[in-house]
Amino acid sequence: MSAPASRTRIGARAIVRRFGPVIANDGIDFAAAPGTIHAIVGGNGAGKSTLMRILQGVDRPDDGSVILDDREVRLTAPADAFARGIGMVHQEFMLVDELTLLENLILAREPVHAGGVIDRRKALAEAERVAAMAGVTLDWQMRVADAPVHIRQILEILRLLYRGADVLILDEPTAVLAPTQVRELIGLMRRLKAEGRTILFISHKLDEVMNAADSITVIRRGRAITTVLPGETSKAKLSEMMVGEPVELPLVHPAAPHAGVPVLAIDTLVARDGRGLPRLGPITLNLYPGEIVGIAGVAGNGQDELAAAAAGLGEIDAGSIRMDGRDITRARTGSFRDLGIAYLSADRAGDGLCLSASIRDNFIAGSEHAPAFSKSGLLRLRAIHEGARRALDTLSVRYGAMGDPVKSLSGGNQQRVAIAREFERKPRILIAAQPTRGVDIAGIAFIHRQIVAFRDAGGAVLLISEELDEILSLSDRIVGLYGGRITGELDRSDASVERVGRLMLGEKAA
Amino acid sequence: MIRAALANLAAAALPFVLALAIGAIVLAVTGHDPLSVYALMASEAFGGTRRIAATLTATTPLLLTGLATAIAFRAGVFNVGVEGCFYLGGLAAATLGFWLVGWPAIAIIPVALLAGALIGGAWMVAPATLKVRLGVDEVVTTLMLNFIAVNLTSWLVNGPLLARGSANSATPAIEKTAELPRLLPPSTLHLGFIISLALVILYGFWDRFTVTGFRSRLVGLNARFCRAVGIDVPSLLFRMMILSGLIGGLAGAIHALGLVHRFVAGFSPGYGFTGIAVALLGRNSALGMILAALVFGALASSGATIQLFSDVPIEIVEVLQGTVMIFAVAKLGLLLRDRRGLA
Repeated sequence: MSAPASRTRIGARAIVRRFGPVIANDGIDFAAAPGTIHAIVGGNGAGKSTLMRILQGVDRPDDGSVILDDREVRLTAPADAFARGIGMVHQEFMLVDELTLLENLILAREPVHAGGVIDRRKALAEAERVAAMAGVTLDWQMRVADAPVHIRQILEILRLLYRGADVLILDEPTAVLAPTQVRELIGLMRRLKAEGRTILFISHKLDEVMNAADSITVIRRGRAITTVLPGETSKAKLSEMMVGEPVELPLVHPAAPHAGVPVLAIDTLVARDGRGLPRLGPITLNLYPGEIVGIAGVAGNGQDELAAAAAGLGEIDAGSIRMDGRDITRARTGSFRDLGIAYLSADRAGDGLCLSASIRDNFIAGSEHAPAFSKSGLLRLRAIHEGARRALDTLSVRYGAMGDPVKSLSGGNQQRVAIAREFERKPRILIAAQPTRGVDIAGIAFIHRQIVAFRDAGGAVLLISEELDEILSLSDRIVGLYGGRITGELDRSDASVERVGRLMLGEKAA
Repeated sequence: MIRAALANLAAAALPFVLALAIGAIVLAVTGHDPLSVYALMASEAFGGTRRIAATLTATTPLLLTGLATAIAFRAGVFNVGVEGCFYLGGLAAATLGFWLVGWPAIAIIPVALLAGALIGGAWMVAPATLKVRLGVDEVVTTLMLNFIAVNLTSWLVNGPLLARGSANSATPAIEKTAELPRLLPPSTLHLGFIISLALVILYGFWDRFTVTGFRSRLVGLNARFCRAVGIDVPSLLFRMMILSGLIGGLAGAIHALGLVHRFVAGFSPGYGFTGIAVALLGRNSALGMILAALVFGALASSGATIQLFSDVPIEIVEVLQGTVMIFAVAKLGLLLRDRRGLA
């Protein structure tokens, strides 16, 4: 430990990682000095997870390299990264519920007597040692199943210390914590830093990042935009860098002011996320025909839950959703769609498309029973083929054959297939969540034109995006979402980067 | 299209080729000439009408247990309970076959087959309900139900349904009219082969050309996606599990009426499990499963006679069968991983 201190304990040099046509990391550079807390911020899909996987040795870059102690290294496996002192705490904890805290701590590295029997006394002594090092006290005999979530988090961190990690990657560690626990966690991070350990703090909660980090790297669309010191920047500047500059799109003309009956009325809605945590609401929001309502917010503030609820996929606790005055809160997803609600999912590989199925199959999915595509339970293959070809041509989708899997297409063309499918249903409402994520510039402009054309034809659009430029250039009204609640609403004519930025950060519109 | 078909065929043939290679090593080590043993097996399985008929007879139950398995697998449901349905379907059909004395063939055969199918379908109601309502893993429930089915039928044929004066655990023989007609007497090949083959071909058509076939394949590929486009996933999974059970039960009923002509304890030498290998080897496709069932049928029929004509023990054939299954089931690992990835 007396070797001269390196300048970079862990970092990246021009890391590129592609998945088929999608570039997840497009030349990322960053450097974290030893004994510092280095934050990495960026929206969903910005490329953070891919970078972390590479730093952990789970994935390998196509180009560029990982830097450890100022030297380029090739990490071939997670065990390799671990041997070099890198450990990670995932968002989803990797703990065994049925075992005690102590047993979880020593799992896979158990101190043993001769003959393979676990040396419990030594284990406990070790546990106390790492706990003292971190300045925490735990009830080691408690089962993980009975431990509150912040204790589990601390246990995950102690486990890395027990195993001798001195670079700790914490992936959204505060996502599940209450404010006081967040302060405790940041205190723990500072103590570890004081001991000379290096912490990579992945987050999109800018308050915490500004509070805890020594330096901050902003990642957007697979690139490291900049690295700044907290003293040199502000939350507003960071959020602006995370979402990008607004660009002028000449095509968009503000629609006539809305009037009359909302086509979609969301009233005091409360919803949970996939893990059952309350994320959204109560919120009240009306959507009128012929308008685009943009939902601006930093990732994780309830957008996903809002989109899911409006598309008929939500875990709804309270409140109501009405379409044309009719209560559809508890209706099945199929009813939402039959009533004319179309959905472009932010998770294109998950529920937006079936990547391994053919283009044709993705096009008719959910409409396979419609008279246009089947008769008496039999698919009308010729009609399907013709219908798909016409729709895909209209959207200028570039594809080889109709039977090719969708995953063979580029991100932009994949999204066009999803749009073709949704528009084929002649919807009246479009829920567009991150509609241009992973799409190239030309594709973005095209998709934007489609959304605007839908609006101009009288459709109502709920646009949910982390890209501020997208929100600003398309929306007729902009609604800020923070902590699952609406922070304010701006008319298109009043919207500016600064004002929307404030809405995104939970400050009331001025 | 053709290239994809060839690639599929190669992938399906690979486990078989690997198994033959390993079998050759085992044969060589035990002092046999692999080539001459394989030649003998081939001629035992396919040399002449009678032997082909025997192979097709052995293929018959595997066609339907493979089909039953594939219908569940392609929807992403890992139903391993076809064996239990096979037992119950066999018992139901055999029981009606000897109860309905004096019924003409045209009535007794359809009724007995239908009863076998229905009990197989009913057997799947519990695991299907548990899966779609409570998310209980169907691998566990259907596997456990197999033990119940095997032991329940075994108890019935040792007690209430035991043939009078019989020491064996068997029902009385079914009525002559309940027996499925033989196709090539004196061979045991029976009408059940035609029924099974027709159902597998019908499945191939269903797979490609029907709305339900389309939905069930898509649900198997990505259930979350299907939910998002409005497909009622739980209802579809439920129906596919029941359909799988119906066909598993029918397989047992056909076996009882076509070949065994009664129900006996130990009715199936694992047809339900070989069906899993058939579905995996055949990649859930109609043609692939027909070929895979034929392979296992040939191994079974040649194995029965090969030890009569050579000093090769029947165990060698069982080693071959087991090896093909291991390589086929190696795919199961991949499929399972995909499924967990989705959850």
